[in-house]
Amino acid sequence: MSGPSAQPAVSGPSAQPAVSGPSAEPTVLEIADLRVGFPGAVAVAGVDLTVRRGEVVALVGESGSGKTMIARSVLGLLPATATATGSVELAGTQVVGADEAALEALRGSRAAMVFQEPQTALNPVRTVGWQLVEALRAHRPIPRSAARARAVELLELVGIPEPERRLRSYPHQLSGGQKQRVVIALALSGEPDLLLADEPTTALDVTVQAQILTLLRDLRDRLGVAVLLVTHNMGVVAELADRVVVLHRGRVVERRAVPELFARPATDYTRDLLASVPALPEQRRDAPDPEFGEDALLTLEAISVVYPAKRGRPAFRAVHDVSLAVRPGEVVGLVGESGSGKTTIGRAAVGLVPVTAGRVLLDGRDLASLGRAELRAARRGLAVVHQDPAASLDPRFTVGESIAEPLLVHRAPAAPARIAALLESVRLPAAYAARRPGELSGGQRQRVALARALALAPRLVIADEPTSALDVSVQADVLALFDDLRRELGFACLFVSHDLGVVDRVSDRVAVLRDGEVLELGAPGEVFVDPRHEYTRALVDAVPRVPARATS
Amino acid sequence: MTLVEETPLAAQPATAPDVRDVGVPAPRARWFTALRHGRGLAGALLVGVVLLAGLAAPLLAKYPPLEQIPGANLVPPDAAHWLGTDEVNRDVLSRVLFGIRADLLVLVTAVPLGALVGALAGLLSSLSAATDVVAQRVFDLLLAFPVLILGIALAAVVGPGLTTVGLVITLAEIPVFGRLLRGAALRVREMPYVEAATVVGAGRWWVLRRHVLPNAVEPAGVQLAVSLSVAVFVEGAMSFIGIGIRPPDPSLGSIIADSVSKLDANPAMALGPLAVVVALVLGFLLVAQALAAGRRVAG
Repeated sequence: MSGPSAQPAVSGPSAQPAVSGPSAEPTVLEIADLRVGFPGAVAVAGVDLTVRRGEVVALVGESGSGKTMIARSVLGLLPATATATGSVELAGTQVVGADEAALEALRGSRAAMVFQEPQTALNPVRTVGWQLVEALRAHRPIPRSAARARAVELLELVGIPEPERRLRSYPHQLSGGQKQRVVIALALSGEPDLLLADEPTTALDVTVQAQILTLLRDLRDRLGVAVLLVTHNMGVVAELADRVVVLHRGRVVERRAVPELFARPATDYTRDLLASVPALPEQRRDAPDPEFGEDALLTLEAISVVYPAKRGRPAFRAVHDVSLAVRPGEVVGLVGESGSGKTTIGRAAVGLVPVTAGRVLLDGRDLASLGRAELRAARRGLAVVHQDPAASLDPRFTVGESIAEPLLVHRAPAAPARIAALLESVRLPAAYAARRPGELSGGQRQRVALARALALAPRLVIADEPTSALDVSVQADVLALFDDLRRELGFACLFVSHDLGVVDRVSDRVAVLRDGEVLELGAPGEVFVDPRHEYTRALVDAVPRVPARATS
Repeated sequence: MTLVEETPLAAQPATAPDVRDVGVPAPRARWFTALRHGRGLAGALLVGVVLLAGLAAPLLAKYPPLEQIPGANLVPPDAAHWLGTDEVNRDVLSRVLFGIRADLLVLVTAVPLGALVGALAGLLSSLSAATDVVAQRVFDLLLAFPVLILGIALAAVVGPGLTTVGLVITLAEIPVFGRLLRGAALRVREMPYVEAATVVGAGRWWVLRRHVLPNAVEPAGVQLAVSLSVAVFVEGAMSFIGIGIRPPDPSLGSIIADSVSKLDANPAMALGPLAVVVALVLGFLLVAQALAAGRRVAG
């Protein structure tokens, strides 16, 4: 093992000659004809890739494109059933076929991993300091005091205030962004030449994501560490990466410098991928206020929802004094970061959570005052679509049974022809009625959930992040379908999402939420382009932008 | 943006690969496949053989179970008496065969009854906080007694006999199935698909019947097999210590109990009923394991 080569002090070209290309920086990672296979499936089908010092290379692609498998193969972390062939050279050492001892020498000191979910990447029962000291001492036999001093330096490096004090903190005492900073500090503890960042910001709120992206860029500039960034988010790519490798079904589709890729995507696949990203409006749109009629379908009158104190946890005020009206046929978007109360408002609107104060009026009638039979009748006009395609359908029901359920609840005829018509309305073949959810893809399941929601021709649909678990191209499909159906059927919708682009795309009006309060309410063309509240502005600015494409 | 539908990226359901053939088979089919090979088959065979022997006891047994055969006192196994005779000149094989019948009678009534009552109690307890507290504390109370202690206590109150054995087994199974169903209800109730049904107006009973019960049937099936094996053991043990089926009626436990002091004269008197108990307990356990493994694979 040679000495650490990514010291902050070391910069500029080293003695090693550049392999090729315009950059004079030495190559950190060289992948040639990498193939990763599983019994009966190919995950990666011959990929070449080079990462140089101080460079951020993004691997983009949708689920199943093999991007995570490539990143894992760099550290020999492939699942036991996978077989890899080809060449992965990490700092001059061949990784494919290397034994466990050789891999251990590479892990952490040559390349280190930054995981997606900071919550699970840190040990919840140990302090941050303990984890950093252990990681440092695992790489080099240094005394505890020296490791501790280095840990403070690392926390400082990743921008955690009061690092001495934070060493004594447990992960749960840190915010999500701080946890991810600690995960990055852990990755840096072995002074690696290469950071493998697998969706490093996907689990984070958009404002926190912006900070972590800034940190990664900063680390690259200061330490010269190379980053192999695995992501599905084209906005993140545009913000951080120098070069992009677009993957599709285990093959490289396109390999370009970032500005070029966004300006002139060379392949249809990349073009579609870019077109699928819901972008925020750049210019103020003066949308003619569509006519929705005067009488509100759903009225929230100063509602508050407080989750009572429980087992030592204090009471939590999820929603505070929110007033909102949804008119027939109107889509109102609720945006906000985690903990903003957007989901709770959606649930309170259909009576799934009782409100602690205020009233929920459906067609002018207070939900809380309705008797059981009246509530049942009132709910005939309601439907929900959930986020998680895996859990939104009963695994024991066939697709047809799931769609028929609302009809059966209200003793409406559920003839096969009706099920087939509903399936066709969400652009699925009628034959899918006999399938079970396990046989469908995530996007197909969300379509089925949508068909079920539409079975009773509802007047109000509560959509809680209906597309956030989907790939961006599938999301685009589902959103387009949603638009079509809404035009055809004219239902109103409360659309909950953390994704400003998605909300902008579907909503007639949008409410921006923070800490359970509505900060701003208006047409998305106004709210997102010309925010009145500084929080909205921060939120909009934090969204990573996909640069506009040159019109061809 | 509707153009997206036509892009090559868009999911095209009409041309999506047909996955119907590799789909998950219907739950019922899975139950039988689990019992068609390996552990499941072995278990089913063991249980099946004992079951048939019990059902066909009047045909298979050469003597009535209570008949005292002149001149055959504690004879070891021979051609006429495959398991020999006991101290009052009765044919042990015939008694074992009829003992199986008594055992099966308890099994097929007490265990399903306990499962049914327990399942119902579990579902009811999931409906409201008040019923939950009551049901859970009753379950705790029942579980606090080891089954045999419960048996001894009940026998002291209502007297020994077949009914007492059944009652003990039923009582022992109620909390087991109650907890199982309550857990399933609490878990399934939080699922988005239940919420989706609730929002369109489905009531609590609808959710229990359509979502909770079907999701609990498989674990309950596994538990049923485990419970049956426990019940075989409980019946044997209660009859062994003399608070189960009363002499002179044959039962596996009481034959073993009687044999203890006669082992040098006729060891088969203990081995015969023991083999049956082992076959039943092992068979039910193997079936339970096979069903559970089948669930994991399918899950």
